[in-house]
Amino acid sequence: MEDLLDMLEKVNQLSLTDEEKAVAAGYFAATEKDFATFSAVDTDGVEPMVHVMPLENVLREDVSSQPFTREDLQKGAPEAEDGYWEVPRLIE
Amino acid sequence: MEYEVVIGLEVHCELATNSKIFCACSAKYGAEANEHVCPACCGMPGMLPIVNKRVVDLGMTAGMMLNCHINRKTTFDKKNYYYPDLPAAYQTTQLFAPICVNGRVDIETSKGKKSVRIKQIHMEEDAGKLVHDDWRDLTMVDYNRTSVPLVEIVSQPDLSSAEEVVAYLERLRSLLRFAKVSDCRWEQGSMRCDVNLSVREKGSDKLGVRTEMKNMNSLAAITRAIEYETARHIDAIVNKTEELVQETRRWDDEKGKSFAMRTKETAGDYRYFPDPNVMPVVIDDTWYNRIKDSLPEFPEVKKARYMDELGLGDFDATSLVESRAFCDVFEAAYAECGLAKDAANWILKDCANLLNRNQMTADMLSIDGRALGKLIRLVADEKVGRANAKFILAEIFAGATDPEKIAVEKGFIVSNDTSLIEKVVVDIVAADPKSVADYKGGKEKAFMALFGKCMRELKGNCNPQVLRELLLKEIDKA
Repeated sequence: MEDLLDMLEKVNQLSLTDEEKAVAAGYFAATEKDFATFSAVDTDGVEPMVHVMPLENVLREDVSSQPFTREDLQKGAPEAEDGYWEVPRLIE
Repeated sequence: MEYEVVIGLEVHCELATNSKIFCACSAKYGAEANEHVCPACCGMPGMLPIVNKRVVDLGMTAGMMLNCHINRKTTFDKKNYYYPDLPAAYQTTQLFAPICVNGRVDIETSKGKKSVRIKQIHMEEDAGKLVHDDWRDLTMVDYNRTSVPLVEIVSQPDLSSAEEVVAYLERLRSLLRFAKVSDCRWEQGSMRCDVNLSVREKGSDKLGVRTEMKNMNSLAAITRAIEYETARHIDAIVNKTEELVQETRRWDDEKGKSFAMRTKETAGDYRYFPDPNVMPVVIDDTWYNRIKDSLPEFPEVKKARYMDELGLGDFDATSLVESRAFCDVFEAAYAECGLAKDAANWILKDCANLLNRNQMTADMLSIDGRALGKLIRLVADEKVGRANAKFILAEIFAGATDPEKIAVEKGFIVSNDTSLIEKVVVDIVAADPKSVADYKGGKEKAFMALFGKCMRELKGNCNPQVLRELLLKEIDKA
C-alpha cells in the first residue's frame, strides 16, 4: 500500500502529509476489497463491456471552424504574452 | 563473442485532415501561436470530444496499406501524465482496442528482402508545443498542435540495422503518402520516430536492456543515433564501461551523442483507462468496403504497369511513382493525349522546374492533368510550338484548364500560311549575308542563328520543319 501511495503521489505531482496518506490508505484498502469481490466472480465467456453508454459512432465530419479566439481563451490565464500561455520553466 | 542489435520503431504521422481529431479547430500547420484553439483542445473542464470521422477513414487506410487486420470495434483510452503540452493532463489514445493490428511491411536492403511485422496502429491526439525562453526563464505554450490527429505505427522488434530502419521508414513514408494518409514531412514534424534499441548475443532469443530515443526527425540523424547507441551498448556489455538501464535518451545530433533524459515510465504509471467521453467506433461492412475500394494501386504495381503497358523506361516510371500527385497528373494527361513518354517528360522536367521555382515539392503538384494532356496533344500535332507551350504550361500551373483557348488568345497557334514564313525567311536572309556566308563556309551554328531569328520574328508560331526547309532553300538561292 505504501508503494502504491508513493507512486500515485509521484505521478500526480502531489505532496501528501502522513495524516493524508493514512486517510488515502483507508480509501484504497476499501477499494481493493471491493475489487477482490469483483475478481472472485466467474466471468468466463462474458464479453467485456467497453463502455457504460449504449452508444456508438458519435462522429463528426471533417470540417474546420474557429468560433473562439485565443484572446477569449487566454482571458483567465495567469500569464500570457504574444499569444502564448506562459508557465514556469521546464527542464528535462 | 558476436553481438546483434534489435530495433523496434514507433512512428507518429500526422493525418491529412482539415480539422483536429476531437474538435473542429483547424489542423493546418504553420499558424500564429494559439490561433487554432478552442475550449476542447485547451482541456477546459466539461468539454466533450467528438471523433472526426475522417481520422477513422485514414486510420483504416493506413492499416490496409500495411496489411493489417482492422478491428471492427475500436475504442479510445485515457493516458494520464502531467506536462504543460497536454492541457487536459491526459492524452486520448488507444490501448485496449486499437484500430489496426498484426500488419506487415516488406523491405529490401543490400542483405535482401525482409518482412517487418506491425504490432498495431492506433489513433491519438498530438501534444502542444513548448518554447523555452532562456532570457525570461519561463516556458511558452502553443496549443495549435494539441489534438491534431496522429496515427502511431508500432513495429515488432524485427529490425537489425540502421540500413533496415531507413528502408522501413522510406517504405512506410511512400505508402502513407501514396494513400494520402499523411504528408509525412520530417522537417515539419508530421512524421516522427521513436527508436527502441537493445543489443544481445548473436542468436540469443533473450532481449538485452532497451533504451528509447524519442522524436527523431531525419533519416540521417536516425542512422547516426542507431550507430552510436549500438556501439554504446556493446561497449557497456563487453568493457563494462557503464551499467545499461531501461531509459529514454535524447539524441544530440550536433554532438553525435545520446544523453539520458529520464527513467522510462512503466505502462502502469500512465494509468490507462477507457475514456468514458468517447463512444466506441464500430466499422460496418459498408464503411470498411468504401475504404478498401478507395485504396490506390501500390507504387510498385503502378511502376510495372507504366513500364509494361505504357512503355515508359525504368527511370521515368520510378521517378513518377515517387509522388502520388505526379501519378495522378500523369494518368489524367495520358488519358487525354495518349502519349505516355511525352506526358512523363512534361511532368518530370517542365512541371518539376515550375515546382522548384515556386519552392514546392512534388506532392504539391495540383494542376489539371487533362489540361496538360490537351497541351501535349497541341504540341504533338504541331499546332503550338514548344517554347510557347511552356508559357501555356505556366498558365495551367496557375490554374488554367483550357490550353487551346490560351493559345488562341495569345496568338500561339502555328500558322500554316507558308507565304508568311517565306516572307520572313527572305527578309532575314537578305539582312544577314554574313551568317549566310558562314553557313555556306561550313559553320553549322550560323544556320541556327538564322533559324532562331526567323522563329523569333514569327513568334514561335510556325512548323519548325517547314521553316527549316524554306530557310535552306532561300540560303541556296542567296
